[in-house]
Amino acid sequence: MWPSLRPAILLLAVNFAASSHAQAPAELHFCLHGEPKTFNPLLVDDEASENIRYLTGGVLIRVNRQTQALEPGLAESWRVSPDGRQITFQLRKGIYFSDGSRFSSEDVAYTMRLLMDPQTHSATGDAFRSGSGTVVVKTPSPYIAVVTFPAPVAGMERLFDQVAILSAKSPKKEQSVLGPYYVSEYKAGSYVLLRRNPNYWRHDAQGRQLPYIDTVRLDIQRNRDIEMMRFRRGELQLVNRVDAQQFDELKKENPAAARNAGTGLDGEELWFNQAASSTLPDFKKKWFQSTDFRRAVSLAINREDLARVVFAGYATPAFGPVSPSNQFWFNAKLPAPKHDPKAALALIAGAGFQLQNGTLKDSMGNRVEFTLITNSGNAAREKMATMIQQDLSDIGISVKVVTLDFPSLIERITRTFDYDACLLGLVNTDLDPNSQMTVWLSSGENHQWNPNQQTPATAWEAEIDQLMREETSLANEKLRKAKFDRVQEIVAEQQPFIYLVNKNALSAVSAQVIGASPVALNPQTFWNIDTLRLDPTQQIGSKQ
Amino acid sequence: MLGVLALLGALLCATMIRFAPGYGADERELDSRLSQESRDAIRSEYGATETLPHYYRRYVSGLLRGNLGTSVFLQRPVAQLLWERAPLTARTVGFGLLAAWIGSSILGLLAIRFPNAMLNYSAMALTGFLIALPAAVIALLFVFWRAPVFLGIALVTFPKLYRYQHNLLTQAQSQPFAFAARTRGVSENRILFRHVIPLVWAPVLALVGVSSSMAFGAAIPLEALSDSPGMGQLAWQAALNRDLPLLTSITLCVTVLTVGVNFLADAIGQRKSS
Amino acid sequence: MIQRVFRGVSWSILAIVFACTLFAEGFTHYPYARQFRELPNAAPSTIHLLGTDDLGRDLFARVVYGTRVSLLLAPAAALLATAIAAVLGGLAGLRGGRLESLILACADLLMSLPLLFVLIALRAFLPLGISPLLSVVATFVTLGLLGWPSSLRVVCAASRNLRQSDHMLLARATGYSNTQLLFRQVIPNLRPIFLAQFWISIPLFILTEATLSMLGLGVMEPLPSWGNLLRGCEDFGAMSANPWRLVPLLLLVITVICFQLILHSSEEPA
Repeated sequence: MWPSLRPAILLLAVNFAASSHAQAPAELHFCLHGEPKTFNPLLVDDEASENIRYLTGGVLIRVNRQTQALEPGLAESWRVSPDGRQITFQLRKGIYFSDGSRFSSEDVAYTMRLLMDPQTHSATGDAFRSGSGTVVVKTPSPYIAVVTFPAPVAGMERLFDQVAILSAKSPKKEQSVLGPYYVSEYKAGSYVLLRRNPNYWRHDAQGRQLPYIDTVRLDIQRNRDIEMMRFRRGELQLVNRVDAQQFDELKKENPAAARNAGTGLDGEELWFNQAASSTLPDFKKKWFQSTDFRRAVSLAINREDLARVVFAGYATPAFGPVSPSNQFWFNAKLPAPKHDPKAALALIAGAGFQLQNGTLKDSMGNRVEFTLITNSGNAAREKMATMIQQDLSDIGISVKVVTLDFPSLIERITRTFDYDACLLGLVNTDLDPNSQMTVWLSSGENHQWNPNQQTPATAWEAEIDQLMREETSLANEKLRKAKFDRVQEIVAEQQPFIYLVNKNALSAVSAQVIGASPVALNPQTFWNIDTLRLDPTQQIGSKQ
Repeated sequence: MLGVLALLGALLCATMIRFAPGYGADERELDSRLSQESRDAIRSEYGATETLPHYYRRYVSGLLRGNLGTSVFLQRPVAQLLWERAPLTARTVGFGLLAAWIGSSILGLLAIRFPNAMLNYSAMALTGFLIALPAAVIALLFVFWRAPVFLGIALVTFPKLYRYQHNLLTQAQSQPFAFAARTRGVSENRILFRHVIPLVWAPVLALVGVSSSMAFGAAIPLEALSDSPGMGQLAWQAALNRDLPLLTSITLCVTVLTVGVNFLADAIGQRKSS
Repeated sequence: MIQRVFRGVSWSILAIVFACTLFAEGFTHYPYARQFRELPNAAPSTIHLLGTDDLGRDLFARVVYGTRVSLLLAPAAALLATAIAAVLGGLAGLRGGRLESLILACADLLMSLPLLFVLIALRAFLPLGISPLLSVVATFVTLGLLGWPSSLRVVCAASRNLRQSDHMLLARATGYSNTQLLFRQVIPNLRPIFLAQFWISIPLFILTEATLSMLGLGVMEPLPSWGNLLRGCEDFGAMSANPWRLVPLLLLVITVICFQLILHSSEEPA
């Protein structure tokens, strides 16, 4: 009797073990890469909170992540006044918050007032701040809201994609939402559980209420290696921002799951400290302030190798602040980046530098050497720094690479200016360069190579200031683009930022998810979450 | 005495953090959308303009009221964060230490009682191999095998404990009195349990404190690398982000625990030896 | 007998490893920093004995030079830590009473300070322009200065035991001062313990450096070290595809085991 039962028991055990790995079919499971710092959509300033806002918040105007065009959200239609200061929204009727309270223009007024209140210190609100003065919101009817700004706001419509509307009257405050999901459970450090919003306003073509998926479980997982391991095991169904090396391995194992959405918005850049108030010796300041020096360094760096070796080919050499995937704002006429050490040496010889016995020396005989700082914990950046170290040693420049923890790094680049060169990455959430005003204006805090200038230190920086000011006051998008194109050209000539690569937007999608089409813009894989479906009959695990 | 020491530890830690480079620099400052007011608000969160004695006073008075401050990085009250995460780490470290002590004591006593060369060498080989693995590698292995973190802590602490204990026991075993007892025909068991163990009791107890610190120390890389939401990971995040209130309070807790455990061990040891 | 064999083998292995590190230039074909960008992650071959790492650098050269960093600096740090523990622990055990409580309290205080934070802060303090080697030396010195508390308690307990022994009473009766007692009686008698602590500490510091590197606080590029080389282990997929990447780990484990075996053999009763 026993021998015949044993295989049956074994089979049961195996089945049990297998099914204990299975998810409830109606639950989508993926990870946040950090702890969400806030559930208040107005205060969002980190990626994890932003993802939660995307999943729970209802917005007036939505930027379609795939087409990059504007779509009506809670507003059926809208009109921007010719002077760019006023926007009138025609709101959808018959929409309710997740707790049942009715949505009306009063909620829009409440949200905008709270957003623009200086005490709130909202980064999203600051993006609207084009001039001093209060923002006035009028509500002539429950379904019409008129927002008037003190000065024209460039790219105003797109900014509303980040404004999640709060309920003015609901006792539940931020927990009452208009998006596809609401936050049902939150265990700090562990997970966030979202459940479908029973009052979500969107329906599919057949009239069925969206979203299709009932619950979404977001685990808090910082470690990307562990996240990929869990994806391979079938525990997770989506992974955003997959690291290039891991993507390479995933592609070999399971090509259908590895999704390459092409060039992303994120880039890596290097800049030299040109601050006049820095404590660097004068001869170093002269090097860094010399355009020929910076252009020579740019010529000496082999961007193709960086893309090929560090990112396994899933990156393209970059030469400007805007990635080619930003269809409207990218300046296609910029020259392609070149790798030419000989031309670099020729250029730098013109500035008085000379190569002697493999060491580059300036006109006064000082050896050209500097330190490059970057943040610790980012393996790709450290590798890039090491490769740049070798590239520059080919033209006789000796580079020391120092990895610092983020706070010390930030202190050095924003306050003490005690550094030579810095390598950091850009994370662009906004397509419109207007949100980068403080980077381009010479008086800006984020004008990394020489911030907070009283007056522009160079003629080209003055020109950029002029162009950016003009650009921000124009309403016509084409005219704005022309101005910013010229800014990009100046940057390419002067190389204050030496752009290195644009990384590809890589993600992983399990076979259980139907309808996912990952894109370059955040949130890559789940931008269309309300129309995603789960197919529980698909095999769990990586092998198809 | 315990309280004073713990407080001293916490305040020392606070001073270090406050004056270390990078204090008050937040990555939000790199967000180009922020207005000047918002940036000022972020900087004031860190209280960088506050003088140190003022901070001490504020912290101690807050402590007496049970308020440990608010974590700047995670934007939540420190007391709440510690309360949430302490049980997990306590369980992990507790079970890990227990497993390590049980394992090393049993193995140690066996090795001494039955000095078989094979047993001795295999014990040495095993512990040697385990000591030789960096804590980080053990953490990664455990993540890969999806084994509970407390076993990782046990694996890190057990070999060193065993080695220390083995040293002490062999030393005691080779004392003249043990030889004398053996020649007189006293049984090995009696020698071990009635003479050797009481002799090494005190130094072995001293190891309790050391092993607890080892375990806590191992908890940080183990939890950080396996993404386990305990106090180790919290401490690591706090250190990376210069979160003054959080790190001060964590140091306070750790000092209380370490000093407390050591005091207890000393007290028992001294009572036994007197 | 067999112990002597083990001891002999351990000493020879360590001697070989030391020789390799000292005469690294003679062994390795390529410098450890040179990137062969056409061949990243290459398998072992006649050109590159252990293949290349993900930037195309010769792994064999990196292992040999990395051994130098770990193996030469860890004993220095261990010596520093043991010396401090010896003096302070011996004194504490000898005098007892308030001094002992004070020293033990200081040790506890030091042990509960977040070591990782201290190292992060140290890194940030150091001037940017120093060479990678100097920054490593500074790290190890710090580890030594912070590493004595764990040895202290053992030394103190042993010293306390010694205090109550017969020949100590005799020495005290003959009128030795405390300093003389410390340096003439306590320290020579506790030498086996110090030696044990020293040998145990060496691998400890090697491993701490390894863990720190894996957490991102280790040696500056392009200087290799064992921890630095072990960082590749984080990627499980890559590990199973390129098992030769585990060679640094194997070397680390073997070296540490050799240290253990030597210690174990040297303390067996005659």
